[in-house]
Amino acid sequence: MRILVVEDEPRLLHNLAKALREEGYAVDTAAAGDEGLFKAQNTDYDALVLDVMLPQLDGWQLLERLRQRKNTPVLMLTARDAPRDRVRGLDTGADDYLVKPFDLPELLARLRALIRRTAGQACPIVQVRDVRLDTRARTVTRQGASVPLTAREYAIFEYLALHRGQVVTRTALYEHLFDESDDTLSNLVDVHVFSIRKKLGADLITTRRGQGYCIDS
Amino acid sequence: MFIKSIRWRLQLWLAFLLACILTGFGVTAYQLQRLNRLHQIDEELDRAVAALAGDVRGRPPFLGPPPAGLPPGPRPFDSGPDFPPRRRSGPEGRLPRGAPDGWLDTREIRLSPPTAALFDNAGTHGLYFVVWSRAGAVLKRSTNAPPDLPLPDSPGVMAATGVRLRQAHREAYQFTEIGECILTGRNIGVDLAAVRRFAWWLVCAGGAVLALGLGGGWLLVSHAIRPVQDIGAAASRIAAGQLAERIDLADTDSELGRLAGVLNSTFARLEAAFAQQRQFTADASHELRTPIAVIIAEAQTTLARARSATEYRETVEACLAAAQQMRRLTGSLLELARFDAGQARLECARFDLAERVQACLDLIRPLALERQLRIASDLVPVELVGDSDRLSQAVLNLLNNAIQYNRAQGEIRVNTRAHDDAVLLTVADTGIGIAPGDLPHIFDRFYRADPSRARAEGHCGLGLAISKAIVEAHGGSLEVASQPGAGTTFTVRLPRNAR
Repeated sequence: MRILVVEDEPRLLHNLAKALREEGYAVDTAAAGDEGLFKAQNTDYDALVLDVMLPQLDGWQLLERLRQRKNTPVLMLTARDAPRDRVRGLDTGADDYLVKPFDLPELLARLRALIRRTAGQACPIVQVRDVRLDTRARTVTRQGASVPLTAREYAIFEYLALHRGQVVTRTALYEHLFDESDDTLSNLVDVHVFSIRKKLGADLITTRRGQGYCIDS
Repeated sequence: MFIKSIRWRLQLWLAFLLACILTGFGVTAYQLQRLNRLHQIDEELDRAVAALAGDVRGRPPFLGPPPAGLPPGPRPFDSGPDFPPRRRSGPEGRLPRGAPDGWLDTREIRLSPPTAALFDNAGTHGLYFVVWSRAGAVLKRSTNAPPDLPLPDSPGVMAATGVRLRQAHREAYQFTEIGECILTGRNIGVDLAAVRRFAWWLVCAGGAVLALGLGGGWLLVSHAIRPVQDIGAAASRIAAGQLAERIDLADTDSELGRLAGVLNSTFARLEAAFAQQRQFTADASHELRTPIAVIIAEAQTTLARARSATEYRETVEACLAAAQQMRRLTGSLLELARFDAGQARLECARFDLAERVQACLDLIRPLALERQLRIASDLVPVELVGDSDRLSQAVLNLLNNAIQYNRAQGEIRVNTRAHDDAVLLTVADTGIGIAPGDLPHIFDRFYRADPSRARAEGHCGLGLAISKAIVEAHGGSLEVASQPGAGTTFTVRLPRNAR
């Protein structure tokens, strides 16, 4: 899952990016509104963490322009907690709203929920045949036994499981799992998929030649 | 309770005034009517007395009225030098020659027909008369005269007509030269009753006028205090928190309309002040929330798993930086609050402003060098009385601004000079300038023409507000002029003998 954080307070931006990366997300950052809008318009992020008070282009303006082209789920982050502001944020197209100072675990939980809902999955637990994916704990169990996955492997499996029934291209996987600073070679995805198949069963993920990967629903 | 209401007080005053006026009018009208009536009666009685006196005095009683134009006929007696005669002391006046003794008490008086005609109507309310001799004996009386009629007291002047009111009888009397008393009178009961009826009529009419007046007064007062009630209602709505409410009076030129206008502008200023206060609180909380968010997020991220010593160190440093930012902010807010409340105490002393400005320049010189800025100063020594530390703070804020918003390799020009009774300090930069739209707001708290720049510098947007507050606390002024792209000039004007 790839997330864009737009926040002008450098310390907070750094910290949010760090916390999200540790949660296994690929994280891009932007410190100003125009930069954030450019990135959000040109990449398919799984979610956007958007501060309201931004230089150049404030969060509301950014959201308004983004919504003309994209439906990326947006979590607004602001120090203004007047109900008027919250209503304005949600009405402009934000999907959720969090007031500063926020609790990090709450922010992470809201982001997970946002991403799940966008994938059409309300329940935090996904069952694929005998494999069970817990998005809360970020764990995978097979027939009740825990299966240790690396962060990358987990990310790929989670993305495919949340979008099961759909063919996910390598490019899409690449775009959603690696952030802008990542220069991993693309064929590494194949290596990770090979590794997941070894751990969870060879036929769980099917390869559609020339298209991508798919987990059948 | 209702006495407190203006409406009722006005109503009571109106009732009181109306009652006084009506009573005065009624009493006057009643008295005039009564006196007028009595006057008519008196005139009638006078005429009767005069006619009677003519007959009694000795116009030949049996010859009828004297021809017009002739003097009265010979009198039966002449008035003597011992006049006035003593009444009831026996006949002492000069009597006609040859008059028998006691004649005065028994002489017969004849009335001429016109006189007699006056007394023709012998009814209860008709005229009556009595003639007494000098000794008090009744010489002649009309049949309808009351039986127990007392002899009036002598008025002391003969031939003058006196009047008296005896129960319901009005009587006029005259003493002749020889002491005989002529009295005519009539029962004026009917007239008095008419006057009383008139009084009752006055009372009824007065009551009606009072009622009408009070009713009209009620309407008038209602009409007059409706604007007051409107103002009161609007004021209570505003007091209840609806600050956008205004008094709506159609008649804006009346006294109350002008009052409403004044109140409306007061309310508008109040609303603006509240809005400003709200904005200030929102801004202050926003500025405080950001460092708090940093501290919480840093701590939670770091505690989520085991970290290296370097990572812990980074976290603590970030938290410290955030805490210091909060300290700066709360310090500035407190300072501003003190100036707002007028509690900021100025430690005033005489000092040289140029010297202080030089010290400030030395402080910021490294910062200016870092940005490759040239400092051009022209400091004329000027002494003034003021709080040198606080003024230095204001100057530092201005200098920091000049550095922050300058272009690379730009210039900062600082000079001090005396001007009349004032001391002038100007700080000019060659920076980006301030857009005309931003210019009126730059002294507003938390106002930033360019938020990204100030935030990166760790400034919270209170510096200029504090500088202005300091200068104004000294009785001076802080002004700004700017040309976008060319630079900004701040001018501090301080009185030489500040408070």
